[in-house]
Amino acid sequence: MAVLFFNATLMTLGLALSSLILGLILASVFALLELGRFRTLRYLTTTLVMVLRGLPEILVVFFIYFGSSHAIFMLTDEYVEVSPFTAGTIALGLIYGAYASQTLRGALMAVHKGQLESAKALGINARRSFIKIVLPQALRHALPGLGNQWLVLLKDTALVALIGTTELLHQAQMLSSKTFEPFTWYSVAAVIYLIITIISQRLLNNMKAKASQHERVVTA
Amino acid sequence: MNFEAIMDYLPQLLRGLETTLELTFASLFSGLALALLFTLILVLRFKPLEWLVKTQILLFTGTPLLVQIFLIYYGPTQFKGLQESFLWPLLSEPWFCALLALALNSAAYSTQLFKGAVDAVPVGDWEAALALGMSKRQALTRIILPHAIRRALPAYGNEMILVMKGTSLVSTITLMDLMGYADRLNARTYDTLTVFALAGLIYLIMTGIMTLIIRLMEKKALAFSQ
Repeated sequence: MAVLFFNATLMTLGLALSSLILGLILASVFALLELGRFRTLRYLTTTLVMVLRGLPEILVVFFIYFGSSHAIFMLTDEYVEVSPFTAGTIALGLIYGAYASQTLRGALMAVHKGQLESAKALGINARRSFIKIVLPQALRHALPGLGNQWLVLLKDTALVALIGTTELLHQAQMLSSKTFEPFTWYSVAAVIYLIITIISQRLLNNMKAKASQHERVVTA
Repeated sequence: MNFEAIMDYLPQLLRGLETTLELTFASLFSGLALALLFTLILVLRFKPLEWLVKTQILLFTGTPLLVQIFLIYYGPTQFKGLQESFLWPLLSEPWFCALLALALNSAAYSTQLFKGAVDAVPVGDWEAALALGMSKRQALTRIILPHAIRRALPAYGNEMILVMKGTSLVSTITLMDLMGYADRLNARTYDTLTVFALAGLIYLIMTGIMTLIIRLMEKKALAFSQ
């Protein structure tokens, strides 16, 4: 049993981490498109983000998993099955990207305009001032939001059990139907989720403390 | 994706709307009642109860909603004693289990919101109320809570939408909500993209309407500050 749950935990973590990486990339793209100068792309991105945030997560997972096979079938007349892990990663990455893009956009806009102006006055070019001056400050603003969304993402990985990836919840489901001890196994899964969440919160608090150690506390 | 198919699917999907809406409002209502009670317990620091509420929040915000639904619906079948008890008619009812899971989940997140809002009320408000001769309880129920709840409204609006989206998980415990009908229709027709796009559209319309209602509520509740 211990081995089964260990593997399932690794699967949950793998799913969450790969969705996080895809999600962060998508979030940066969405945020930059929304702040960018192409009006059509701006509207398209805003609509996509709105749709992704308004849909139930399970619907997005099903849409990507069942829909991708359906779409490939319609386009090529061939039945290709997309693996549940891939479909789950894409779906969760899209959802994370949609929420995180709003955090990133807010964080980028929260960096004071004077920062860019001073950089320009000092003769630093646009790209360099974005990477060296705006981005580090924006990431510091974005960290709490991105961290919260990571905790949400972690819990959303349970949805991928429904399309058959053997992560924590699916493992608990299989053992429950075999042993008729659903309370025991779902509790074990719940406790592992809880432990991962608590460890994540600790790490995030450390990161936040580290990111803000340069900040001065201004007292009136 | 043709028009005829859409006209055929739409009424079938809409049959699930009733369950989705009923469950959303029932869960929100019971979740809100619990959250107000929990917030009161946390703010007034009723010792043993405070500890219980904190544990409830940790458990329900730290685990996935789907696990909570499965645990509440399938969990009790493991215990013979429960199956013979007076609770069984309720616990064997998927509708009740879904309501219980969603309400407790929403209560946990809402309590966090409300407690944060109460903590954010300036100390001066407390001091002024106490200076006017109010008891701690009076100050809380008449001055602090009404103010805090208004401040928490935008965040609570988000929570309402999350609960509505959360109801889509109850199709996993045999309830036929909007998602349940979409799933069944997909299994029967294999017209995945159309079926799920239609269901998604209905969910989006619901999210849109809820956002509008919340915005109106905010405007009304925060009218004094504008």
